[in-house]
Amino acid sequence: MSDAIVSVEKAKAPKKDLITTQVRWGFSRPLNLEKLALLAQRVSGLGILVYLFFHIFVTGSIVGGPDGVPGGQDVFEGLMGMLFNPLAHIGELLVVVGATFHGINGIRVMLLELTRLVGHPIRPDYPYKTQMLGKGQQSILLTAMIMASLSAIAGVFILFLGAA
Amino acid sequence: MKESTLTLVNYIMILALLVTLALHLAMQAFLGVTGYADALSYQTALARYRDALSVSLLTILLIAATYHGLFGLRNILLEWRPGRHWHGAVTGITLGLAVVMLGWGMRTILFAFGGL
Repeated sequence: MSDAIVSVEKAKAPKKDLITTQVRWGFSRPLNLEKLALLAQRVSGLGILVYLFFHIFVTGSIVGGPDGVPGGQDVFEGLMGMLFNPLAHIGELLVVVGATFHGINGIRVMLLELTRLVGHPIRPDYPYKTQMLGKGQQSILLTAMIMASLSAIAGVFILFLGAA
Repeated sequence: MKESTLTLVNYIMILALLVTLALHLAMQAFLGVTGYADALSYQTALARYRDALSVSLLTILLIAATYHGLFGLRNILLEWRPGRHWHGAVTGITLGLAVVMLGWGMRTILFAFGGL
C-alpha cells in the first residue's frame, strides 16, 4: 500500500557542478533580493573560511616549537613581508568587507529563524507576487550593505592610503 | 549527533564568534597597537599570545570560527548532492579539516603562551 503513495524512485544527484548550481539558483527568475543575499552570505562565508585556514598556518609561524617545524621571528617577519603587497591587500579588503556583510546579514538570518521577523503568511492570489523581505529584514540587509561599504572605505584608507 | 543539536551548537558558536571577534579587534587598542604595520610586527603578534585574556579570546575564537565555518561548508556540500555515502564523506572531510585547523591553532596558542 505504501508503494502506491510513496515514491520509490532513487534520488538523483544534480548534473551541474556546485558553483554553477549555486549561481544559477541565485540569478534564476524571479530575481529576488533575499536569494542574492543568501548567495552573498555563502560566497563570503566560504571566502572567510579559506582565509581562516591560511590565517591559522601563517600565524602559526610565530613559534617554531620543539617539533622541528620552522618558525620564530625570522620566519614570521619573512611571511609578513611577503604578504605586504597590493594583491594581498586586495584579499584582506575582501575579507573585511565579506566578514562585515556576513556578520550583519547572519544576524538577520538568525532573527528570521528564531523570531517573528519572518512576518505573517499571506494567501497566494493571482497574479502571484514573490513574498520577500519584510520591512524589518530589509532594514537589516540595508544596514549590512552600508556597513560593508563603510568597511571597504575604511579598508582602502588603512591598507592603501596608510591612514593608520 | 542529531542535526538539530549540531544547529543549536552552531547558534551558540555564532554568538561566541560575534563577541570574541569584536573583543579580538578591540584588544588591538588595549595592547597599544598604533597602526596596521605595527599590528603585523612580531612583537605585537607575540604579545597577543602572552596575555592570558587575549589567549582565552583566541582559543574561543578559534573553536567557534572553525566550527561555524566547517558546519556551513558541510551544509552547502550536503545540499548539493543527496546520498548516504556523500553524507558520510562530507562529514568525514569536515571533521578532518576541523582536526587539522584546531590542532594547528591550539599548537600555536599553547607553544606561544608557554614561551616555547
